[in-house]
Amino acid sequence: MELAPIFTWLYNRLLTVGLGLELTDIISLAALAVIVFGFLSVMALFLVWWERKFAGHIQQRFGPMMTGWHGVLQTIADAVKLIQKEDIVPAAADRKVFFWAPVIVFVCSFAAYVVIPFGNGLIVSDLNIGILYVIAITTFTIISLLMAGWASNNKYALLGGMRSAAQAVSYEVPMVLAVLGVVLVTGSMSMNDIVKGQSAWGGFHWNIVFQPLGFLIYIIAATAESNRTPFDIPEAEQELVAGYNVEYSGMKFAMFFLAEFVNMFTLSAVATTLFLGGWNGPLLPSWVWFLIKTLGMVLVFMMFRWTYPRLRVDQLMEFAWKALVPLAFVNLIYVGIMARWVNW
Amino acid sequence: MGQLVRQFVAGIYNLVVGLLTTGKHLGRHAVTIQYPKERWTMPERSRGMVVLLTDEESGLLNCTACLLCMRACPSGAIEIETAEDEKGKRVRYPKGFTLNYHICCFCGLCEESCTFAAIKLTPKYEFPEWDSQKLIWDRDKLQEMGRDVKYESRERKKGPDERIEAAALADGRPVPPEILERKAAEEKAKAEAKAKAAEKAKAEAQAKKEEASGTSEATGSKAESPEKKVDDSKEDTPS
Repeated sequence: MELAPIFTWLYNRLLTVGLGLELTDIISLAALAVIVFGFLSVMALFLVWWERKFAGHIQQRFGPMMTGWHGVLQTIADAVKLIQKEDIVPAAADRKVFFWAPVIVFVCSFAAYVVIPFGNGLIVSDLNIGILYVIAITTFTIISLLMAGWASNNKYALLGGMRSAAQAVSYEVPMVLAVLGVVLVTGSMSMNDIVKGQSAWGGFHWNIVFQPLGFLIYIIAATAESNRTPFDIPEAEQELVAGYNVEYSGMKFAMFFLAEFVNMFTLSAVATTLFLGGWNGPLLPSWVWFLIKTLGMVLVFMMFRWTYPRLRVDQLMEFAWKALVPLAFVNLIYVGIMARWVNW
Repeated sequence: MGQLVRQFVAGIYNLVVGLLTTGKHLGRHAVTIQYPKERWTMPERSRGMVVLLTDEESGLLNCTACLLCMRACPSGAIEIETAEDEKGKRVRYPKGFTLNYHICCFCGLCEESCTFAAIKLTPKYEFPEWDSQKLIWDRDKLQEMGRDVKYESRERKKGPDERIEAAALADGRPVPPEILERKAAEEKAKAEAKAKAAEKAKAEAQAKKEEASGTSEATGSKAESPEKKVDDSKEDTPS
């Protein structure tokens, strides 16, 4: 069952009720914001639980089991606990920056969903620079991580923030170059156009088939972007206690935590949209296909996390600049040639 | 260039092998259990709670207060209080037996050293307390916790009477009169038997003396009689 017609119907109902066009737009956009926000919050809570269960089962444990069926309510209980906690600000902290860092990371990670196509027609706003917008807004989180690290006035936090910024800036380059391949083939930066460009072959004309290298580079760079193991030196527990969020507690910590998982979901969603055909697929409704593919990507990220050991800082930088960037250029040249002469 | 490509391929292969390994573990059943809901059945000989064992027949401890376990204990967790009877002899029953679980290291040396199957490490492991002073267990508590423990009891040379008497003496209770009576009767019988044996030996010696007439035999009979006396005294002491 497609969801887009329902939203259209609701919008038209609002129009016919007699509210003005402006008011209807404001109401519908606010409602959309609430829906997306709610969906993402639930999704983040679900992902935290899923990751813990997954980690448990990989290590042949159970993971959370006590709260609800197989511990599904565990993250909700954790969130409630975090809300109740005292909001501690270190005495030497830069209070303003300390306060705004989690807010910015939270807002930025959620703002990316303006252009994510959840299904056929299920997109908040189909910007013509969609993918550029996503890259820009997700990069913004790095600033907030740096803010958090700096404002905490803690050596571990600062080191974590610095590492995070250095890593993200480095991996941004191969990631954008990998995305560029897709844009080159599609001829548009709009997320909807990119998805529609992969709708041939009964919805299986995926970009991954033609640009496997680009997909690989994107996956690696995305893992680094989201600060997940093998690239989790910004929060390497053994070296940095917890990285940029050492000094955070209570609700602010919860915001960082949820933003991390929302970011992971964003990167999976973008990977789905760019390389795995987005919401294209037979039989099932488009949004179900989108969810299946995105959660599959999340699973891959989780699998990475619980399989691979952490890279050293110098290895990390070397890998980005000496391996990924040249490979991304090779991929770009390859895609350019193929798009020009073979015409997929 | 060729080496680079080979390295690249090998790297990808290794990454895939890693993923397959974790994938394999993902499909396996968990090795942990949900502890408060489920519990392990501990192995029969695992070393957990230390208890004192009770003789089923008399309902008394097997312990004879020999202090071997106390000496064997490397952390000094066992403390045994002994009692003395009116003759100043140590009673073969512990007056007090204290086991300090703060310092007990569950090494099992007390069980190893015990020659009477009196102390045992059981597979029980759940005995935490809110009050740390409650972890110092006295004799009754140790006995209580050991009541349901199965063990192979040792064969006893003597009946339960001796144990009951020792226990009564250790606790300062009056010894049950029927036991004293029985003991007295036994001692009387013993004395009679002893007297009889002595008489018999005397008669035998006399016969021998009469049989062999000579100077050399006189020394032999002299040497025989003290030997017999030593034997008798050995029989007297309860072992």
